[in-house]
Amino acid sequence: MSIPGLEGRTVFVVEDESLVAMLLETMLEDMGCTVFGTAARIEDALEMIAGDARPDAALLDVNVAGQTVYPVAEALDRKGVPLVFSTGYGQGGLAEGWEGRPTVQKPYTEAMIRDALMRVLDIKNA
Amino acid sequence: MKYLELSDVAARDMARAFDASPNPYTMLTTDFCYVGVNQAYLDVVGRERDDLIGRNLFDLFDGGGQGDQARENARQLRASFERVLLTGEPDHLALIHYPIEITDADGRTRIEDRYWSATHTPIRDVDGQVAYILQHTTDITELQNLRKRVMGDRDKATVTDLLSSNVMARAEHLQTDNLRLQSERNRLLDIFMQAPGFIAVLTGPDFVFQMHNEAYAELTGHRSLNGKPVVEALPEIVAQGFLDLLKQVRETGDAFEGHAMPVQLGTGPDGALRTRYLDFVYQPLRDGQGDVAGVFVQGHDVTDVVEAGNRQKLMIDELNHRVKNTLATVQSIAMQTARTHAEPETFAEGFQARLMSLSHTHNLLTRTHWEGAELADILTHETEAHGSMRILPNGPVVSLDPAQALSLGMIFHELATNAAKHGALQSGDGRVLVDWSIQDATVSLVWREIDGPPVVASEHRGFGSRLIERNVRHDLAGQSRFDYAPDGLIFSLTFPLERTAS
Repeated sequence: MSIPGLEGRTVFVVEDESLVAMLLETMLEDMGCTVFGTAARIEDALEMIAGDARPDAALLDVNVAGQTVYPVAEALDRKGVPLVFSTGYGQGGLAEGWEGRPTVQKPYTEAMIRDALMRVLDIKNA
Repeated sequence: MKYLELSDVAARDMARAFDASPNPYTMLTTDFCYVGVNQAYLDVVGRERDDLIGRNLFDLFDGGGQGDQARENARQLRASFERVLLTGEPDHLALIHYPIEITDADGRTRIEDRYWSATHTPIRDVDGQVAYILQHTTDITELQNLRKRVMGDRDKATVTDLLSSNVMARAEHLQTDNLRLQSERNRLLDIFMQAPGFIAVLTGPDFVFQMHNEAYAELTGHRSLNGKPVVEALPEIVAQGFLDLLKQVRETGDAFEGHAMPVQLGTGPDGALRTRYLDFVYQPLRDGQGDVAGVFVQGHDVTDVVEAGNRQKLMIDELNHRVKNTLATVQSIAMQTARTHAEPETFAEGFQARLMSLSHTHNLLTRTHWEGAELADILTHETEAHGSMRILPNGPVVSLDPAQALSLGMIFHELATNAAKHGALQSGDGRVLVDWSIQDATVSLVWREIDGPPVVASEHRGFGSRLIERNVRHDLAGQSRFDYAPDGLIFSLTFPLERTAS
């Protein structure tokens, strides 16, 4: 079901597990969002957001193929793109300087992703 | 102590005065040989000068024979000498029981019980080193005997007797106390030196090392510390805030306790800094007026504990990450399977089969402690349910990392399931040839279905084929192609063995 406010928003996904990425894409499409792109590796992610490319929001897995996602997070932060982190590490899963940022813990439901995106995009519940 | 230069005349006068003194004196070398005695001493021990000079005191006077008591007497006397040599300070023996051998007029020798009170004073040479020990000893046997008589027969005691007996008793007590304190101090010093925790004593506004034990030397890399201020002895800790902490303890008089505090000490090769974690206390030491005169440092190196804790935290984080990722993967399988299976029964079948496939690869990886798995093993594991003779693997050994293994496991599972439903594995005659090779660190694999029923190209791309395509692109960073040839499906796959390091 499309969510008013989220409809048409482009969301960038960084996730190294293909099945989890597929799940996220399905969830995002169900909400009416457009997947801006999906990256499984940090270098790919940085390439996809280079230059003027600017998604409306980003969902970032913290641990990407043994690396942390923070270089991508910093690049997006500089562009003013709202971020949602996803992690299996729990509450204390974010590194210094990123604590308190919106986070969803794996495994997550569609509702959790929706609420997190609406919060960072500052969309009020209809 | 200033050394007094004497003229020849003055020296002779001094020697004469020494000899004429009514108090018995003897001068000993630092290995306790006689270099000088005065007449009073010769009288009291009943010997001639020539009997003594150059000889060792303990050879001549062994404390009264060979018994334990004699050995203990000699030990007490020797300990007093050694304290003088060690400390450079005079030492007093208020009372010592020391029988000596006496030669009577008729030439016969006997052991005579004697009690002494002695003072041992260090005599230094020009360089300030202790060169001799001057012993001033008084034979107090009569006093001691008198005391015993008084104690044994109180009725006859005179006031003087009682007085001297009290004096004697006090002297004896004092000496016992001194010995007890001395041995206690030595024991404490031993404990201090050998304690497993590190200990150091710093004094003054510059925190000068007065003493430190073996553990402290070990911690700081066996450098020379004693007599040096902290800034000079351990320069690397100043910028780390430890000097400020010491100053704070000195100024406030409050102890400081550190828990698992990191400190970098230059104890690595070529003085490189190494991090140690310490539990410690800076305890103020106060002088007689109650002012802080120094700081007592005591603590333990807890580096091993801290590092073990960090390793454990990393492992728990990694485990948590894997479990949560696996749960998310299972969730994804469930949701995607549900989308292509309207009926609960077929959903359950498809979901469970995928779950089992994931589990098979996990089993393979567990065997190698998650270091990886071989391509042929994964293929066999994922397809054996369809009959071992029907899927024919052919290729070299290819070692895969865990992520590649999990990915290929799912791909083989989807291919086999699809072949059983729509392809060569439906009927009894169909087979699958799986050939692979490696060139330039790239794996090329072909899944070729033969002898099956005629192929009907799939109208819609199901979850299976989407999953395969995604896995190849996303997890393997490779390429894949489905060819629905009339004789059977041909699926080709290429992927790099080593992911380019990023």
